[in-house]
Amino acid sequence: MNKKNRMITRRDFIRGTVYTTLATSLGLGFSNEKDIRAEEKVKVVLVRDEKVLDEQGRIHPEILQKMLDQGVSSLMEEENPLQAWKKLVRPTDIVGIKSNAWNPLPTPKELEAAIEKRVLEGGVSKKNISVDDRGVLDNKVFLSSTALINARPLRIHHWSGIGGCIKNYIMFTSTPWLYHPDACASLASIWSKPMVKGKTRLNILSVIRTQFYGRGAHSFDRRFISDYKGLLIGKDPVALDAIGARLLQLQRVAHFGEDRPLDTTPHHIFVADEKYKLGVSDLRRIELVKLGWMEGALI
Amino acid sequence: MDIKRGIWLFLAFLFSVKLLITGTFVFSADRDGKSMEMKKLFPLKIGSYQSDGKDEFYDRQTAFRYMDGAAELYRSYGFKLLMVRRYAKADHPPIIVETFDMGSSEDAFGVFSYETGDEEVGIGQGSDFGGGLLRFWKGKFFINVYVEQEAPSTKGDILDLGRTVADSIKQEGKKPKLINLLPNENLIERNIRYFHHHQSLNYHYFVSHQNILRLGERTHALLSTYASQTEGKIFLLLIQYPSKTLAAGGFQSFIKAYMPESSTSKTIKTENGRWTTAQFHQKHVIVIFDAPSKEKGEVLTQTTIKNLREGK
Repeated sequence: MNKKNRMITRRDFIRGTVYTTLATSLGLGFSNEKDIRAEEKVKVVLVRDEKVLDEQGRIHPEILQKMLDQGVSSLMEEENPLQAWKKLVRPTDIVGIKSNAWNPLPTPKELEAAIEKRVLEGGVSKKNISVDDRGVLDNKVFLSSTALINARPLRIHHWSGIGGCIKNYIMFTSTPWLYHPDACASLASIWSKPMVKGKTRLNILSVIRTQFYGRGAHSFDRRFISDYKGLLIGKDPVALDAIGARLLQLQRVAHFGEDRPLDTTPHHIFVADEKYKLGVSDLRRIELVKLGWMEGALI
Repeated sequence: MDIKRGIWLFLAFLFSVKLLITGTFVFSADRDGKSMEMKKLFPLKIGSYQSDGKDEFYDRQTAFRYMDGAAELYRSYGFKLLMVRRYAKADHPPIIVETFDMGSSEDAFGVFSYETGDEEVGIGQGSDFGGGLLRFWKGKFFINVYVEQEAPSTKGDILDLGRTVADSIKQEGKKPKLINLLPNENLIERNIRYFHHHQSLNYHYFVSHQNILRLGERTHALLSTYASQTEGKIFLLLIQYPSKTLAAGGFQSFIKAYMPESSTSKTIKTENGRWTTAQFHQKHVIVIFDAPSKEKGEVLTQTTIKNLREGK
């Protein structure tokens, strides 16, 4: 059987022969570490600040801006955040900031504003920037965009395992339900649509608050929301989602004392790597850079 | 073009536009009838709560608009129609009642059995309350009652309202008959899961990301858990296929993918030191996962087959 069509069963996890994202959803452990050359690793930055939420749970915009700057600077290996952003966007770019409007846990407005501020300072004119989610197919900026910035919260998702960077582009299709079969395995194919392909300059998973478990009609329950107070930043959406899936799993273990399975395994992350070559899902090939407050970071 | 034909073409155009916008045939006569039936099911005033009069209805096609991808859970059963009603009361957060017509009591039980991790509160034919959400089933209906913002009085109000809603449903329903076939000793009844699709199986017990048991809307499956201090957790999967041929196909597919090294006994010791055994009998496939011994797996399998033969 070729690699693309490889069948994975529970026994593969028990044996430890599969150590990809799929394993992270199951808590069945990883295989022995093998040598992975440093140059093969992709970089993901985790920035946390315990003061980003105040006592009422409101986001402190200045602290969030600082976290974003730290993360982007580290990712782009620039000391000055503005220089880092200038490596990401050019003044001539038309920039769509793909947000997420899901009512119980949307992309924080403060994060959208922090991104927009830096894109503006990067020289892009205001008329060439737009923040949108469900209206992207009718949004003139998105329709003519040359650059996309993908920003959404990390949460479990009933049918795709997790809602992360890969899934956030579902709104770039007018027929989202066609991507639901097999636990949304083909989500990464959306990233090769002309409106999207090759345009994404930056991915941000907001882990200010995460939803690590779901319940009820909308798969939402406030008991399973964690104030994690962080951002995961990277260029590779698959790597970010792989780290995100692992984090949600560890949060479930911390909360319940044992792992509880997701509604479905987030194997669309694995498929995004293996079939669609969108990025790296193997945690051994991801370099996680941690900045700031790390108490209870879990990963 | 004559005028009559022109009018017909114009009407057809309007219908097409409507179809494009809504993505479905809006309010068929059947759906209208079911909507009216659901509207009348519960009183508009319950205690000091009053319906806001803005009932919403969603069917299999439109449910995504209401609950995003979470609709797939209900669609994996025989879900027909969802009514969302908000009950309001001054100075209190509104209470939302989501009533799902699941088409059959078996599927109402099935979607309820999907998650039963909280407190049984004696409402309907089975209930689960936690985190401000009441879930229960009765007859062919599965119902969620919750508030978006919890307040100190919330729990009592939700339970009172839920109880009235449950009492308004006059007809009770039956659980899936397959449950009668399960061995009783050490069975955790609240952990019996009923479903049709392999995604649901994987939620409760991951087997494979591919559908190696060939489950689908025409298969009826139960996953039950047996637990004891000495034996740990054992899982019994019982599947009823539409025909003996399909059962044999599902069985062979499973053996080939999951336990290809097994001998004619179809029993293996897996890498975690536990035992998996699989059998098929007539239209049924029985798989025991994580048995502490080969013998224990066989006892559970044979008890199930005996129950099948006795027509329980």
